[in-house]
Amino acid sequence: MSFRMSASSAAAADRLARLTTATGPEREALILAAFEDETASVREQAIRLATRYVEPQTLGGLVADGVNAARRNGALAALERQGPYAVPYLVDLLRSPDAELVMFALQILARIGDPKATAGILPLLGHTDPNVAQSAVEALGRLRSADAVPALLELLRGNLWLQLAAVTALGEVGDAAAVEPLLGLVPDSFVAEQAVRSLQRIAAPESLEPLLELLIRVHERPLRDAVLEAVGVVLDLHPDPGAAGERFARDAEQDRGPQGIAAFLGELLRTVEAEAECRREVLGIGGGGEREALAQAAVAVILTGRLRSLYPLVLRRAGDPDAEWIETQWRRHARLGRDEAAGLLGHRDPQVRRGILTAGAFDGDDLPGLLARLGDGNTAVRAAACRALGRLGDGRAAAALVGRIQEGAPEERAAAAAALGRLPIESLEGLCACLDPRAGEETVVAALEAVRVAAASAFEADVLALARAPSPGTRLAALRAAAALPGTRTELALFRALGDRDERVQMEVLELLVERGGDRTGATLIALLSAADSLRFRVIRALGRIRAAEAVPKLEALYADAPLHERVEIIRALAAIAPPGVTDLLRPRLRAPEPDIRHVAAFGLAQVAGPEDIPTLVAMAADDDWAMRNEAARGLGRLGLPESRPTLLTLVRDVEPVVARTARGALDGLADGPGTAAA
Amino acid sequence: MTPADEVECKLLSDLVQERFGLSFAGVRRDILLARVRPRLAALRLPALLDYYHFLRCHPDRDAEFDRLACQLTNNETYFFREPHHFEIIAKHVVAALGDTLRTRPLRVLSAGCSSGEEPYSLAIALHDTALELRGISWEIDACDLNRDRIARAREGVYEGGALRACTEEALRRYFEQQNGRYRLRDRYRKSVRFFEANLAAPGGMIGFPPYDVILCRNLLIYFDDAGFDRTVRLFARALGPGGWLLLGHSESLIDRSDDFVPTWLEGAMIYRKRLAEAAA
Repeated sequence: MSFRMSASSAAAADRLARLTTATGPEREALILAAFEDETASVREQAIRLATRYVEPQTLGGLVADGVNAARRNGALAALERQGPYAVPYLVDLLRSPDAELVMFALQILARIGDPKATAGILPLLGHTDPNVAQSAVEALGRLRSADAVPALLELLRGNLWLQLAAVTALGEVGDAAAVEPLLGLVPDSFVAEQAVRSLQRIAAPESLEPLLELLIRVHERPLRDAVLEAVGVVLDLHPDPGAAGERFARDAEQDRGPQGIAAFLGELLRTVEAEAECRREVLGIGGGGEREALAQAAVAVILTGRLRSLYPLVLRRAGDPDAEWIETQWRRHARLGRDEAAGLLGHRDPQVRRGILTAGAFDGDDLPGLLARLGDGNTAVRAAACRALGRLGDGRAAAALVGRIQEGAPEERAAAAAALGRLPIESLEGLCACLDPRAGEETVVAALEAVRVAAASAFEADVLALARAPSPGTRLAALRAAAALPGTRTELALFRALGDRDERVQMEVLELLVERGGDRTGATLIALLSAADSLRFRVIRALGRIRAAEAVPKLEALYADAPLHERVEIIRALAAIAPPGVTDLLRPRLRAPEPDIRHVAAFGLAQVAGPEDIPTLVAMAADDDWAMRNEAARGLGRLGLPESRPTLLTLVRDVEPVVARTARGALDGLADGPGTAAA
Repeated sequence: MTPADEVECKLLSDLVQERFGLSFAGVRRDILLARVRPRLAALRLPALLDYYHFLRCHPDRDAEFDRLACQLTNNETYFFREPHHFEIIAKHVVAALGDTLRTRPLRVLSAGCSSGEEPYSLAIALHDTALELRGISWEIDACDLNRDRIARAREGVYEGGALRACTEEALRRYFEQQNGRYRLRDRYRKSVRFFEANLAAPGGMIGFPPYDVILCRNLLIYFDDAGFDRTVRLFARALGPGGWLLLGHSESLIDRSDDFVPTWLEGAMIYRKRLAEAAA
């Protein structure tokens, strides 16, 4: 039997290989020819290589070629990826007599997003070719150029296309000076919807009242949706929307009927809730989809405008983990009387009861009402009542919450444990009975969680005893609680648990010790380095995380004979601890035969390098391995010294986009200095 | 995503591509992250970079690669998904092979069979066509990268989403209830031979060729260009002359392979391996 490789894929693979390995003068010709290749992967590689190896002037020549669209597209993509390196050339190109070329230059400059291009673009707003002027408007918007605002406002009175572009650009710039002129375009103009979108982006507080008025006045659905979304954003960012809300409440009271504001918002919430339910059932994911932002805006408006008849509808989704924003909105905007709260707590719909318990803010006078909900027939309501009692923090609720720990469903036990943890410690004596192993593991584990959250040292003896329980689940819960308690005995229990027979317990205890810190943790972990077991690489990492300087000699001594995964962790730990002279430790590892050692050494060097390491970082920038070049860019960016600019200008055109982006970020943070012009 | 996250993600996705030939570049990156997250939690590793180093250097990396493969290729499937493909095999393929099937069985490979829903659906469809009455027998082989899923497939016990397209009648006819779940009846379970295989592994052969039909649906979309080409060549080698390759509706060999000829059947695009003399 003979086998045959597909001719087309084999030929494409050959072309890709030739392109990648070519050097010298042949390379540029091959790259430019490959812009027209029939295979997408070859074209993509050609763009990557052109970004790195072809000068902007050469690429600009291809952009000017109006005949060969494939070459032009390749050149445009490469110029865009060259970013800051291509900016000076592109700004020069703006003076070209070729209008099409100027348009392309504007589009690339807009995508590169370098504000230094603004000065060159501003004069083009008055270009005789409206397409060029429009591209200039769009570019200034993308560059968020505040200098362009007066000229853009002038364009609002110009031709329709420029007007639309100017409206969009003003929104992108975000200057509040545009609010009044934009409001003047709503609702009776062709650009009304876009003007509302721009008002949303600007989100100026002074736009709230006019937008709320529009929300009542406008009935045309797409525009009304846009206004609602804008109101949502402005409300969200408004420091004090109370007064505007009160005026809106009065207007809303008069606006009844099927087109009225309450009917509109109610229908919207019902639809989004149904969509969220559908997405959960069919797709297994939460949230209300594309219209979730509208629902959020609707809730903000309902609460700010006191549209009380819609409160149950709002509360139905409170407690849904994908709609936590409802709780935030409710606590910020809702103002309920005690009778209103009581009415919602006793609402016939359990989702509303759960919602008010989840979102509502309660005080001591509400305690009886909340305790009564612990007897609700619905588990989710009882769990929500536990959480509400936790937020209230009143010790009088302790006994009832202990009862939920002992008898509740799993959801209630967890909620009651978290709630008990927030109560005054002196009210927790009822937990003693729950910490008796005879209470059953679920109860004991929940009680230990309460002790952990409360950091209740009074139960230290119980916790220490349970840390030696036969069940790993109980031991883990006890050790978590122990980690939250101060003192020597709990610390010793944690140290002892590093030798637990269950590896999962060992691993978690290590994490707990790292988070807890403490003077003796370092010494204990260093002692563990002597045992060459499966935990040691985690111990090494933990020493790095707590920056245990005293571990450095032991780590260095361990390095030579350690297996690869431990050597990797040793280098990472040393870089994290950063003892004096650490770069002398890292530099030789950059030439290690194992790529993983080189990577972690480069990563460490990028974190700790000083100016004296610039030559090393520059050498790394020429490495064949993209990960090494990336760390070079990161290290040079961290140092932020002007002499790094030429190297970063090369890396900004790297064939690997990740490296180019890192270099771009580094370049943005660089102080001006030598080598500012494109090298 | 921060630049540092992006770097960690690329290191991991490059490693996955190198090892499995699966591509999680671009918009698929979120899928990779979502599928890797449970492994980080299981190993109690705090960051993606820690997991990357684990896969690269830890003594247990081979076992972890196996577990990762399970996570990455954990694609949901169900009984009687895209049933027209089974009809194409039962009607058109059987008819096209004609008298050949009087001397040997029809031979089908389900590549990337997950927990068995696809090959078992085919077995049911072939049983229901009553081919035995016409003296025609068949053999169905089924492979997957994931050892655990192969074990589940052999067990043949299902619930929930795997049965979403089953009517009450289908549940009663093809399954027997077992502790609230559904166990496929023995006569169907015994029709399929399962084995473990990495389609992206370089070179080699797959299963027990030559096959008349290969079903590989919604798997090639995860491969990078090289993995895609390699896998299609593997299928070309495993199929007999004129054999049929059935892909998912979003997968295409147009302009990707000279070994196959596209053809429309029952409203679906399927691919036939060129006959030896035509391809020579």
